[in-house]
Amino acid sequence: MIIQGTNRRADVHDRADVVVVGTGAGGGTLAAYLAERGWDVVMLDRGGFHRAEDFTQREEDAMGGFNGRRGMDATTDNAIFFNYAEAIGGSTVHYWGDSFRTPADRLQRWRSEHGLEWMTPAELDPHFAAIEEELGIHVTPEALFNENNRLVRQGCEALGIEGHPPPTARVDCIGCGWTQYGCAYNRKSSQTITTIPRVSKAGGRVYSDARAEVLLRDADGRAVGVTGSLLDRATARPRAAFRVDAPFVVVAGGALGTAELLLRNLDDTTVGRRLYINPHYFVWADMGREIDNVTGLPCAYVVHGFRQVRRSAAGTYESGGYIMLANHQSPGVAAVMLGGQGAELTRRMGAYRRLGSLMSVIDEEHPGRVFLGEDGLRRADFRVRGVDQLKAVDFLRNAARIFLAAGAREVWIPDVHGTVVRNEAEVARIGIQSVQPNAQFCAGSHLLGTAPLGTNADDSFAGPTGEAHRVPGLYVADGAALPGSVSVDPSLSIMGVARWLAAGLHERAGRAGA
Amino acid sequence: MTPDNPPPEGVLPPGMDRRGFLRGVAGGTAAVALASLLPAGCGRDYPQARADRAELQGLTAKEYAVARAAAEALLVDVPVDPGLVVRRLDRELALVGDPVLADMKTVLGLVEHMTPLGGRLRRFTALPLERRRAYLAGWRDSRFNLRRGAYNALRGFVAFFAFADDATRPLTGFGGPWPERFQVPAYPVDYGEVA
Repeated sequence: MIIQGTNRRADVHDRADVVVVGTGAGGGTLAAYLAERGWDVVMLDRGGFHRAEDFTQREEDAMGGFNGRRGMDATTDNAIFFNYAEAIGGSTVHYWGDSFRTPADRLQRWRSEHGLEWMTPAELDPHFAAIEEELGIHVTPEALFNENNRLVRQGCEALGIEGHPPPTARVDCIGCGWTQYGCAYNRKSSQTITTIPRVSKAGGRVYSDARAEVLLRDADGRAVGVTGSLLDRATARPRAAFRVDAPFVVVAGGALGTAELLLRNLDDTTVGRRLYINPHYFVWADMGREIDNVTGLPCAYVVHGFRQVRRSAAGTYESGGYIMLANHQSPGVAAVMLGGQGAELTRRMGAYRRLGSLMSVIDEEHPGRVFLGEDGLRRADFRVRGVDQLKAVDFLRNAARIFLAAGAREVWIPDVHGTVVRNEAEVARIGIQSVQPNAQFCAGSHLLGTAPLGTNADDSFAGPTGEAHRVPGLYVADGAALPGSVSVDPSLSIMGVARWLAAGLHERAGRAGA
Repeated sequence: MTPDNPPPEGVLPPGMDRRGFLRGVAGGTAAVALASLLPAGCGRDYPQARADRAELQGLTAKEYAVARAAAEALLVDVPVDPGLVVRRLDRELALVGDPVLADMKTVLGLVEHMTPLGGRLRRFTALPLERRRAYLAGWRDSRFNLRRGAYNALRGFVAFFAFADDATRPLTGFGGPWPERFQVPAYPVDYGEVA
């Protein structure tokens, strides 16, 4: 049952076997697993419940309707925009559907650095396979390539750079191009149309517009439930209160939401200490002719050739440490990203139909943090610095080369310096000045690591099973739980880890085979 | 030092950049308080909101005037009324609330009152259009992250709410949302009971 908090006037008191705060990649996956194995599940999400007809593909509707902080959230210095969703389905409502299994080298790092011995391909692959089956994940077909994707592939092939169509979570996609604003046709396999209906039909209650505020604990300190407010969707003002009692509490509100709830309720210095975002910088190329970069998938082609960092024998950074995604954006967002003011902005937007674009997913080594400000509000700091700046510059240069190889008339680095590149010799113009904070638009949409799993209780929030080191009965099962950057889109990693955690919880609770 | 050639930015309150100015609302507020002693140029009243019949929800009349003056400077030959852009911004800021609203108010206050850094003797809203553009470009090109951050916040919101408007489609060639142009049925989803 879907219960829209915005429609409620009276307080609500519910009970369940488990209450899951958050309905995105982690929460949805975990909840569906448990609900279909006999658990009585309650789910909570501060965002609204939106169906296909609500996804108008209008930018203001999307930003105001389901983007976190109405699409206006950023670091304290405004240098990095945070792209995440607050809605039933979480960020899978607006994700692009790229669905990579966690790279083996990343699992190896998490085993060695965080003691997560279970994080092996052998352990996770069955869960990935089940999710891939449930979500219809398949390699992006050629029919969903738009011209930007083809140009990126052409440039990569000319330069001998490795790239592939990504596995994508969608069924019979019609290629309208606006997956980022919610699928208006129910073809993208968001949690909203996959796991959430499964929870509902298995007897679970899914509350939208329900902001979790207080983690309830018993005299022994064990988590036993959640209280909060049911919100009016239009104004976000509280309309009624809710309380859910459950012997298991799972927090899965995304790296920002989970950290905020935990920071408000626990005195635990491991929360919010690290925030990974995979910084996204953007390169735009004027192809000198109209191209189709509006329909099809935003990203039907991923450039993998730079994922691994290459260092000199002395250990000095030389190149790599990121992947690239073919990119397109709606006009309002493009106007923000392209930079420029006055006549220059108008000129750039006049070229909208001629622009190809690539964006970075930087595998950062220096995380940021999430904290509560003196005003009590959740804030986040993130500074692209050190070797991560070098990675960003390397991305900008190689993205420029790819578009030049594909025939671009000029490549725009949308920095405050107005950097334009027309040939290989000019690529060297791109330097560290382009990636200083607020020198150009930068975003983060792979938000991870703010309540990480690990064996060291001084350095991680939860143990390998997902249960908090210091609060029995409290679990974390979303992007916050991952110990670091995945280096690719993390959605399938989040789902796979959440499903593994759910299986463990099911077994330890003595319900396996029940 | 010319009006559009700002002095070295060491004159900014020490430590402001390190703190992060959007977080350092207290520092920003103090700067606004000091700078607000400047003459208003065209008067202390800010009549623009009243003239535009703007029913403000988050911004004050003064903040509306600053944002509108910035939108006029940032948008050239864009077929969208700057007042409409700022009214949309006002509505969204009111809905999202703090900290975004509080930060934006600080930005607008500083933009209005930090004109002396460039040797200007009038507030931002009292500057001629070209001087406003040059002043904002000074923020964009600043060595200080805090000023660039303020600029990007203001510029970003103006650019978004302008180019999200249907009236810009002839300029961009954007065809508009599919649901308004094509009839494609959504696959059915059985959610069970929805209350």
